[in-house]
Amino acid sequence: MYKVRMVRREHNSMWVEVIVPIMSIILAVAFGWLFLSWSGHDAAATYMRMLNGAIGSKYNLSETVVKAIPLMLAGLAVSLAFRMKLWNIGGEGQLYMGAFAASGIALACGDMSAWLLLPLMLLAGFAAGAIWGGIPGVLRAYWQVNETITTLMLNYVAIFWVSYLVFGPWKDPASMGFPLSARFSLNAYLPVLGTTRVHLGLIIAIIIAVLFYIILNYTRWGYEIRVSGESQEAARYAGINVTRNIILVMLISGGIAGVTGMIEVSGITHRLQQGISPGYGYTGIIVAWLARLNPFAIILVAFLFGALLVGGFGIQTMGISYSIVLILQGAVLFFLLAGEFFRKYRIVLTKGD
Amino acid sequence: MKREPLIEMNNISKSFPGVLANHNISFRVYPGEIHALLGENGAGKSTLMSILAGLYRPDSGQIKVRGRQVQFRSPRYALESGIGMIYQHFRLVNNFTVAENIVLGAKRRGIINRQEGMEGKVQELSERFGLGVDPAARISNLSLGEQQRVEILKMLYRGCDVLIMDEPTTVLTPREVQDLFKVLRFMADEGRAVVLITHKLHEVMEIADYVTVLRKGEVAGSDRIENLHESDLTHMMVAREIEYGQVNRNTAPGPAVLEIKGLQVRGDLGYLAVKDATLDIRSGEIVSIAGVAGNGQRELVEALAGLRTPAKGSIRMKGRDITDYDIRKRLELGLNMVPEDRLGMGLVPNISVMDNSILRSYYRPEFSRGPFLNYSRIRKYARSLVENYNIYLSDINYPVNFLSGGNLQKLLLGRELDKRPQVIIASYPVRGLDVAAAEAVFQLLLRERDKGTAILLVLEDLDDIFRLSDRVAVMYDGEIRAVLDADTADLNTIGALMLGAAPTGA
Amino acid sequence: MMRFGKLGIMVLVLALMTALVVGCGTADQGDKDAAKDKAEEFKVGFIYIGAPGDAGWTYAHDQGRIYLEEKIPEVKTMTLEYVPEGGDAERSIEQLAQEGCKVIIANSFGYGDPILEVAKRYPDITFLHCSGLKTDTNVSTYFGRIYQARYLSGIVAGSMTKNNKIGYAAAYPIPEVVRGINAFTLGVRSVNPDATVKVVWALTWVDAAKEKAAAESLIDAKCDVLAQHADTPAVQQAAEEAGILSIGYNSDMSKFAPNANLTSPVWNWGPYYVRAIQAVMDGTWKSEEYWGGVEDGIVDLAPISDKVPANVKQLVADKKADIIDGKWDVFTGPVKDQSGAVKVPEAQKMTDAEMLSFEWFVEGVEGTIPK
Repeated sequence: MYKVRMVRREHNSMWVEVIVPIMSIILAVAFGWLFLSWSGHDAAATYMRMLNGAIGSKYNLSETVVKAIPLMLAGLAVSLAFRMKLWNIGGEGQLYMGAFAASGIALACGDMSAWLLLPLMLLAGFAAGAIWGGIPGVLRAYWQVNETITTLMLNYVAIFWVSYLVFGPWKDPASMGFPLSARFSLNAYLPVLGTTRVHLGLIIAIIIAVLFYIILNYTRWGYEIRVSGESQEAARYAGINVTRNIILVMLISGGIAGVTGMIEVSGITHRLQQGISPGYGYTGIIVAWLARLNPFAIILVAFLFGALLVGGFGIQTMGISYSIVLILQGAVLFFLLAGEFFRKYRIVLTKGD
Repeated sequence: MKREPLIEMNNISKSFPGVLANHNISFRVYPGEIHALLGENGAGKSTLMSILAGLYRPDSGQIKVRGRQVQFRSPRYALESGIGMIYQHFRLVNNFTVAENIVLGAKRRGIINRQEGMEGKVQELSERFGLGVDPAARISNLSLGEQQRVEILKMLYRGCDVLIMDEPTTVLTPREVQDLFKVLRFMADEGRAVVLITHKLHEVMEIADYVTVLRKGEVAGSDRIENLHESDLTHMMVAREIEYGQVNRNTAPGPAVLEIKGLQVRGDLGYLAVKDATLDIRSGEIVSIAGVAGNGQRELVEALAGLRTPAKGSIRMKGRDITDYDIRKRLELGLNMVPEDRLGMGLVPNISVMDNSILRSYYRPEFSRGPFLNYSRIRKYARSLVENYNIYLSDINYPVNFLSGGNLQKLLLGRELDKRPQVIIASYPVRGLDVAAAEAVFQLLLRERDKGTAILLVLEDLDDIFRLSDRVAVMYDGEIRAVLDADTADLNTIGALMLGAAPTGA
Repeated sequence: MMRFGKLGIMVLVLALMTALVVGCGTADQGDKDAAKDKAEEFKVGFIYIGAPGDAGWTYAHDQGRIYLEEKIPEVKTMTLEYVPEGGDAERSIEQLAQEGCKVIIANSFGYGDPILEVAKRYPDITFLHCSGLKTDTNVSTYFGRIYQARYLSGIVAGSMTKNNKIGYAAAYPIPEVVRGINAFTLGVRSVNPDATVKVVWALTWVDAAKEKAAAESLIDAKCDVLAQHADTPAVQQAAEEAGILSIGYNSDMSKFAPNANLTSPVWNWGPYYVRAIQAVMDGTWKSEEYWGGVEDGIVDLAPISDKVPANVKQLVADKKADIIDGKWDVFTGPVKDQSGAVKVPEAQKMTDAEMLSFEWFVEGVEGTIPK
């Protein structure tokens, strides 16, 4: 008789690190292939179309980047909190609050020069997100209130708050009652790259990634975060002010999620409306984990994720329904996450009873 | 009349990587009996009972319940055979009521749990055993003693005939201990059996019918309580050949550096873990705290280091009152601590040896450049630590997890000693180390003592205590019961004090 | 650890890139072949806010799409479902343009900005924006006067209620929805002046759970006929379970609640699509703001249940004929608001602009419009 056991890997060889994600993708495609063939579609053509839709032309590539920018920022935002083992799953709400505050500035000061208006919007977005992340931070730091729950709850508050605004006080009088804010003045538009929709948010995301990398690896404060994240006990033993750092990290994490909201309204929708984020705050969590919280890997994974979403969505025009698209995308995610398990554990067959 | 044993464990052996925890142990429990299982830390008590409770499976040996051989795949199987274990940390859901906790996880009869019926049954059981627990009360509103009674009730509800309790009196007040003993006696009188894992001699003498003593994974003795004297038990537990005299003791220590007076410290669960600690540690001496783990050593050390706020009493260092100083302020004064939890508190897992080398000094100007860390200095410093303290490793950029236990401890100890401390407090500095590594650690500590540092050690092995200390402070039940000179102290005396015997004017 | 992680990802990217290089070549080839084969095809793209399977709004549009393909054989359609109204919409519309659609139809008001954006780049493509606000030389908006059908369904509801309490589960407090509630209420009170219509906001366009919750709160309030401005049949099902009556919406919902459902105001987009696309093909198309009523067949009432007495059916048919003949429309005075104040004087009709910005309830509605 053989027994199957899971054994935690102590040290990963390069081989495992490389082969596991590749195998995951291959398996996901194989699964999707079978599924597509079974449901009567041309699997080869579908996957080609998916790739083509994601990065097959300059326009498609630019759109993938557009999709990836909020994922980068949202991923970076939550990754900072995760570094300290603070489960900030409120990226979505912080994003909405950032969008709200930035829109407020854009609507109120539309005449201001872009050089002043955009930084002001960025600041407002950051501040609003920071407050939305800071509240759970304070509750956690002083009263040990579980931040997972508070951040999640505040998501709903933020989303309903934005709904209230666009249905009520901020409704554009010219929208015939439809729930949209007025369009921003051109001064409140983020600059874009050429004729594409790729906006300054990309640069902001890259700057934040670089900053994160430097702060985490080379500064005293980054050191404190790394230590606190690995072991709160060790942090206390080192005399680190864990309480202060919890609050600070939640403020910044929320702030960056708020910036994500700002760049979405300023760079893409140009007005406040419902559904400005189709769950970027949540997808950012997956991005951050797949990138193992490394800021540069987050940029890369966000791009790949954007490709998966954009490329996948487009195959619908081949007569493939959206639910099949979701299955194909879900398969990639599922196999990647399952791969994470095999990266951490190995399966051992032992002889025994 | 020959009675049939309720539980019969024959030739049980169980090893963990590197440790033979149980070796050929046979153990019997009869109905109506309160059976004390006695032994030092690491003697194998918990392993044996975890096997009985279905948590571990033995490598060899067999278990019989009421004469029938059994194999427990999980605690559930053990429970079904009527064996239940109550751990030191209770497994209760705080927001649930007593009745809900008791029914939770119990075998369901029918699909719907009827609240009224369940509360009635719990009430009835509670009254029959004199537990006085209100089934409708919420766990979060109960004292630790009451919570323990809920655990007992839970086991009774599930039909346990054999109740194993791991150090049940640690969290109780003396009143509650008496109440508990009454309940246990009542259960025994009903024909059930109780196994009490403990290290408190007087409790054993008071309540147990039968005693089994384990030492180093083997049965050191086993008999009815009437046939035993306290000193026999002490002897069985600690007996060994002590090798005296390898260490030249410091007979002329300097002035007191650390003065602890009437210290009281609360444990994590809120009870007073340290009830009364008064102790001086002088320059150039090693004072060891002897005691079975869980008698307040951990809380005392944390209070001294500044990780836990004392409830009462004072700590003075070189005449200065440091009771309210935080850990960093104490560190700056030269009070260094090597925690019990090496990888987790003393060192940070998953970050590099280099980063770990500055864990307690990263904020100092010598390692900083503005807000940045000065990594060229840090690298140099980490290398010097590795060299000076003979730490074997391939690369200081690798996470500390790759180091062996001995090298971890050398890194940790080296880092703390390198700060030229006035006081070193080290908890279990050689736990889990092989002989050579332990020796290296001892040499480091002795060298430090000879430099004039005041050293407080928490040790579990009496051999080590005698080898290393100049004085021994015995801690029992949150109190420092006695402070003895290591040269003149007698092993049996210390053993007896550790197990709660009253000090006899030593 | 991170080092290896990054490396893994790098390899992954490389693998993808390689696949891309190989893939692009073949994909392009395939597209060209396909294009050659079907040169005569006239491609029409649809941007859907939901999916056709929902029996509601998008279902009705998809029925129109199928009708279009049947009537004009050269037309080949493609669809994108669940297109969010945020940043993703522009890319989706652009994709349809790039894939050679000559006409692009989008079925939710939130696509306005991206449509105008893409329309600027593709002056040769015609865009039809359902429930939209703004037009351009190549962008039309279109909608239907569903309020007329709602009025007719109100006659049915008002005749069938026993306790004069009618419930209305509504999506969002916007003019389109308010107009529907008002028309329905006027229909109810035209035959039953004592009846009231209680409104509950579900605050969703498509969410069966929330819609059902809204329906249940109306059932708790003792309503015995339920109407809905919601996309799923959840309200119908709730009524069926509670053993009361109901009025559907979007498509004939009688199959979801055979006992409860009396009728449904329905959309019938097919004829409009056929007319518009034929005009584009013939080169006669002009930008317009189309708002057709029962006279065009774009809105109608689903077959009325046999439970409804013949005289009520006759009344409905008469009213419908009046509207088709242009003799009368729903919001013809006197129309009073909730306070009883006359908002539309005797014999006067509300203008389209007034109707499009409806922000008050007529007399007989119980409920408020959140501001």
